Amino acid sequence: MNRYLLLSAAAAALACGVSRDTRPQAKADPAYVFPHSPHVEGEVDCLECHASIAQATKLEARVRHVALPAHSDTCTGCHDAQPKLAIPARAAPFDVRFDHAAHLPRVKGKCVTCHSDLPTTGTVGRKSPPMAACTGCHNHQKDFQEARCTPCHVDLKRFSKPIEAFKHEGDFLRTHGQLARPTAETCAQCHEQSYCAQCHSPTTSPAAPQILFPEEVQRDLIHRGDFTSRHQVEAKANPTSCLRCHGTAFCDSCHTEQNVSPLSTITPRDPHPAGWVTKGSGNFHGDAARRNIVTCAACHDQGTASICVGCHAVGGVGGNPHPASFISQHRNDNRTKRAVCMACHPN
Amino acid sequence: MRTLSRMIFAAVLLGAATGASATVVDASSTTMVTAGQQTAGGLAGQRPDLLTAVPAFEIINVSARDIQAPGFDDLQIVLSSWGSYDFATVRTDAGVGTQLTGDVQTGYVKGQLFDRHLTLQVGREFIAAGAGQMIQIDGGSALVQLPGGISVSGYAGSPVSQRFATRGGYQDWNPLGGDLAYGGRLGWNLPLDGGYGRGLDLGVSALDVEDHGQSVRQDAGVDLRYQPSAGFTVTGNGVWDMYAARVAEADVTALWNVTRLLYVTADVQFTTPDSFLSNNSILSVFADSAFTQLGGGVTYRLTPALSIGGDYHAVLEPGPQGTGTSLGHEVLARLEYQRSSWTAGTDVSYIDTYQDGYTSLRVYGRRDFGPAFVSVDAMGTHLQTGVNGLNDTVNGILSAGYTLGGGWSAVVSGTAGVNPFMEQQYDLMAKLVYNQTYRAREVK
Repeated sequence: MNRYLLLSAAAAALACGVSRDTRPQAKADPAYVFPHSPHVEGEVDCLECHASIAQATKLEARVRHVALPAHSDTCTGCHDAQPKLAIPARAAPFDVRFDHAAHLPRVKGKCVTCHSDLPTTGTVGRKSPPMAACTGCHNHQKDFQEARCTPCHVDLKRFSKPIEAFKHEGDFLRTHGQLARPTAETCAQCHEQSYCAQCHSPTTSPAAPQILFPEEVQRDLIHRGDFTSRHQVEAKANPTSCLRCHGTAFCDSCHTEQNVSPLSTITPRDPHPAGWVTKGSGNFHGDAARRNIVTCAACHDQGTASICVGCHAVGGVGGNPHPASFISQHRNDNRTKRAVCMACHPN
Repeated sequence: MRTLSRMIFAAVLLGAATGASATVVDASSTTMVTAGQQTAGGLAGQRPDLLTAVPAFEIINVSARDIQAPGFDDLQIVLSSWGSYDFATVRTDAGVGTQLTGDVQTGYVKGQLFDRHLTLQVGREFIAAGAGQMIQIDGGSALVQLPGGISVSGYAGSPVSQRFATRGGYQDWNPLGGDLAYGGRLGWNLPLDGGYGRGLDLGVSALDVEDHGQSVRQDAGVDLRYQPSAGFTVTGNGVWDMYAARVAEADVTALWNVTRLLYVTADVQFTTPDSFLSNNSILSVFADSAFTQLGGGVTYRLTPALSIGGDYHAVLEPGPQGTGTSLGHEVLARLEYQRSSWTAGTDVSYIDTYQDGYTSLRVYGRRDFGPAFVSVDAMGTHLQTGVNGLNDTVNGILSAGYTLGGGWSAVVSGTAGVNPFMEQQYDLMAKLVYNQTYRAREVK
């Protein structure tokens, strides 16, 4: 096994062919030094300084398309001397593909058609045109609906904030599943499944996310704090929510370790209240099972070997345990086809 | 295990063989050691034994995106895997009884072809759409986008179990209890002009899970998303348990950005928990109880940095004898402050369910000082029904970290608390993280 995983890692490294063009993602570009707004208000043509953008067919990190004109009446019309400006380098890669050369003629060279909000001196971060600038002319509703965000968007995985239509506000922990079912591919545009797996894969995870990321206090995690002490309450209030991610064997494996399961190797601690076997006691196990069988399953789900069979098999002292709805639905089932039926109905 | 390793190796080799070159490769490595005590065993009527667990983890995440390969419009390789070694007692929650263990959390190759009208995915993956309900399988899935807004997807694979242990049966950790799952979804979407996201999505889907040839789950699902305006969305989902011939779950949710500052939700969710037990569980024939949660929430942004919100849900659960209805409550109130270097907040949760419940208060905060940070996360809970004679628990976590540069960062964390299972709890954690994005070539 290890041989294959090691070979996989080596092949992955080869496949990626990393050219050492590595940059820490967290490194921010320096602040803007140029005051755009007075120049726009002064009706200075953008191409005076951004001449090369008219031929740019792609966006490239490190390429700014900025060059102050060496001798220009446009500058000296307002400035006493030809201004000099150190253009700060930019390194952050672009997250969209865009062809300025193709678009500029269509807006008659008016950059502000898209760049309505320009950066000014001290602005940190980008002032990219909003997506509405694109959709003012292009109808991408169908692409959007089909979650075909590429090729315009290069890498939505690094998109830090969802747009209005997919705001992750309020009790998003509760609502995100409902949103995902009809539009799973839309979620996948930004979230890789390894992100989902942090919470949705307790079967294969190294540890619970609150243990792996204790410093990420702002994240919504369902098992925060001392969840062990609260888990039985949450399981009673919404038993289905547990079963979506945890098989009953997951519960039982821990209950066995804690010696509260019949599978324990020594006499198990009894978690049942007094009157558990007495009908009408208020704590009768039959009533509890009818209310929430999932609680029983957390220890007693051993298939045909379950403890229930001993009393509830046909002819047993426990009597018929099936609810009326089950009997009406399965009255004519061929019981010999299912092992669980045969456990109590051997004939 | 060997089969899965070979699958991953073959998939990665495919990427290498095509001479592919990825635009973006995210790679992270986390080396983590925790130390703490766990309870285990013990005789009835006596205190449980205390075990000291000191596991060391190595967690690897690799994501290569926008790989240029012949025939593919886009190709991704995603792998998330880990290994651990327990220096002291073997943890009781690791899923195996050996000191050295590990697993593949996620590992798949995803490719888009034919102008992104066909998406293929192979490996260890989730099925999120429709009745799939986030099941995790080792297998494959395909999605075809057809004209007219129609889409067809299908999947097949073996539901994932812990540490590659036995699939299927009642000892399996996977919530489906089967060794084979397959299904699909037929969807239709109608985009509407106007703000982004406007439109209608409709889907019908099916999920079938088998355990050694016998069906243990048969679900049919319907799903809906309708967004008439940029800020208002309604979703609806329903799953029909075909074996029990009744509704397994149904929900309707409305989400509304009333203004840029005010966000409102309302939802109702109906579930029959026993429908989620696999049909090879003998307990699946004992009950037909139903739970309904009905309520909503409000979030209001008082300032750009400060938001306040609350949610309330009435819980309609079975009555004392399993018949009739008992009324429970779930309440959550929260206040959060977020600025560039500050995060602080508090949550109050209250659950009142039949013969049980709790009230908890959580206070958290994080302050970044350039490359360093400190965070605190404290939570206290009052249990309505005591456990081991105790009704109150307190738990606090103090973390500190430093970005070392070059993609490296370090975090240390300490947890202390008092709870009904351990009179006093102390845990320590230290991790060293390497997180780097490689851009092998410029975007074209």
